[in-house]
Order: sequence, then C-alpha cells, then structure tokens
Amino acid sequence: MAINPMEQFAVKPIVPLHIGHYDVSFTNQSLWMCIVVGAITLFMTMATSRRALVPSRMQSMAEISYEFVANMVGGAAGEDGLRFFPFVFTIFMFVLFSNFLGLLPGSFTVTSQIIVTFTMAGFVIAMVVVTGFLKHGIGFLKLFVPKAPFLLLLLLVPIEVISFFTRPISLSVRLFANMLAGHTLLKVFASFVIALGGAGLLAPLAAAPMFLIVAITALELLVAFLQAYVFAILTCIYLNEALHLHDHH
Amino acid sequence: MVRALLAGAAGNCGCAMTARKPEDLRSLGDRLDAVQKANAARDKAPPPTSLGVAFRFSTEMVAGLIVGGGLGWAIDWATGRWLPFHTKPWGMIVFFILGAAAGILNVIRAARELNAEMAKKDGD
Repeated sequence: MAINPMEQFAVKPIVPLHIGHYDVSFTNQSLWMCIVVGAITLFMTMATSRRALVPSRMQSMAEISYEFVANMVGGAAGEDGLRFFPFVFTIFMFVLFSNFLGLLPGSFTVTSQIIVTFTMAGFVIAMVVVTGFLKHGIGFLKLFVPKAPFLLLLLLVPIEVISFFTRPISLSVRLFANMLAGHTLLKVFASFVIALGGAGLLAPLAAAPMFLIVAITALELLVAFLQAYVFAILTCIYLNEALHLHDHH
Repeated sequence: MVRALLAGAAGNCGCAMTARKPEDLRSLGDRLDAVQKANAARDKAPPPTSLGVAFRFSTEMVAGLIVGGGLGWAIDWATGRWLPFHTKPWGMIVFFILGAAAGILNVIRAARELNAEMAKKDGD
C-alpha cells in the first residue's frame, strides 16, 4: 500500500492558463490563497459590522487579534513602529489563517510552499531596507559596522552583511519547514492507521497511531499559532532595527 | 486601549449612548481593565516549544551556510565570466567560512533573545 505523505503538497492546476511562456494556471494553491483572504475578510467584516460597545464573541476575537498585534508592534518596534501595524497585521492574519485552514482535512496549506513564505519574507526584508534607507539615508549601513578595531572590521563587516541576508531565508524556511514537517507527520501516522487496520489480528493496534494523530493535531494547532506569531514578531524586530539602528550587542 | 476607546465613546458620542451615563462606562472600563490585568499572564504568547527552538537555531545556522556558500559561488561565477581572471575556488571557500561564522553569530543572537525572553517571563 503506497501512500505518499508528500502528495498533499502537490500544486495542481485547476484552470490551466498560459501567457507566453509562462504558466499562470489557477491552481489549488491560488484557490486556497483566495479562500484564506476571503476567510479573513469575512471574519473581520462580520466581527466588526455591529461595532457593539459590549462586544459579541466574534467581535471580541477580532479585537483581541487587533490588540495582540498592536501590542506586539508597539512593544517590539516602539511607538513609531506603529505606522507599520497594517503591514504586520496583514502578514500575521494571513499566516495564521493559512496555518489554521491548512489543518482542515483535505485542505491545502498555503504556507507549506517555500515560494510563498520566501516571497513574504522577501517583502519584509525589502520593507526593512527601504525603511532604513529612507529614515537614515546612507547611515543605515552603520547597521553592518560593529564596534571593533579597524582590522577586525575587514572580517566582521562581511559576516554582518551575510548575517543580514540570512534573514529572509531563515524567516521563510522556518515557517515552511514547520508546516511541512507537521503535515507530513500527520499523513505518515494516518498511513499507519490504515496499514494496521487492514492487518487482520493486529487491527486493534491501529488505535495507537490514531491516538497519536489526535495529540499531534493539538500540537499542530499550537505550532500554527506560534509560527504566525514568530513570523510577525521577527518582522517587528527587523523593522525596529531599521528604525532605530540598535546594535544588538 | 479598550479604555481609551470607551472614554472616546463616552466623551464624544452622544448618539446611541444617551441612555447610559459616562460613569457606567467608566466603571465598565475599570472592570474590563481589571479582568485584562488578571488574564494578562494567561494571554501572553505561549513559550516556544523545544521543537520550535530547535527549528529556530537550525534554520539560522543553515541559512548562514546557504547564503555564504551561495554568495561565494556567485562571486566565482561572476569573476570567471566578466573579469579577465577568476577567483575559483577561493570565493566559495572564503565565503562559506564567513557564512558559517554568520550562522553561528545568528544562533548566538537567537539564543540571547530567547534567554532574555525567558528571564522576562520568569521575572513576572
């Protein structure tokens, strides 16, 4: 019995489309991105449509997520970092909803594709670089110069520059790898259930991986939230550096 | 924040709130603040799982190596193509080592951040 645990990550075209040499098909990936954006829009508009003074549960959820991100941005990037609140909130909600919706059986996890997370991380870093240069001009480059004797700087500046360029990679790989690993694990255990269930006398043993799936799903819920949080807080930390040129020593 | 919102609503919105007195709202705000304070510990971001920490450190390290190696490889390729001499294989060797150093630097920074976070959490 061959169950491929990676099959769930395959991007399949739903509406094939080609423009010139480029394949711009509407895929299950695009479909789920639309669903994620639609779900967020629906949630936020529904929750805030009544704007009651004493909030309903839906409105509370929207307000809590708003305040959670607002506190995060304010805490990590300072008062003037609050200008970037819409940016961070968008990223946080998109990653959060992608991760959560990806946990639904039969759904597709948008954030398990490295190209999606890398694009988002690339935007974050581009934002940081542009903000840094706009705010500090050429002085932004001071970020790469630690306090050290001149000769050591020859070695330290390249290291700092490389360290800066690792950010989009570590940011995107972390989210992607977490999602990939969790969903693969779930599929692998699920295939154990099926294999054991068809094994005659051993069939009752199938309950063990079944129980594990339940436990892992709970863990994945935590990971889904945590990864969205980590992505957003790191965005804030990087923005903070661009805004205030803190050196991290 | 809730309180500011409520104060705003009590102050300048005479529309639907005419039946309610500002004092009611203020006491509601106070009670909300109290509840929020009581729940502050619970509502804090959850502590990172050990798997999460492992992922964090390993990606930082691997990212350093990838960027360093990739940059060195690109330099070797570019000099071989556009300059009369080529730096092969020295660009990749040097930048791979620099990348490793950058990776370690990243891990140290991540560990420091995590420690600071933990210390703050223990302090509360």
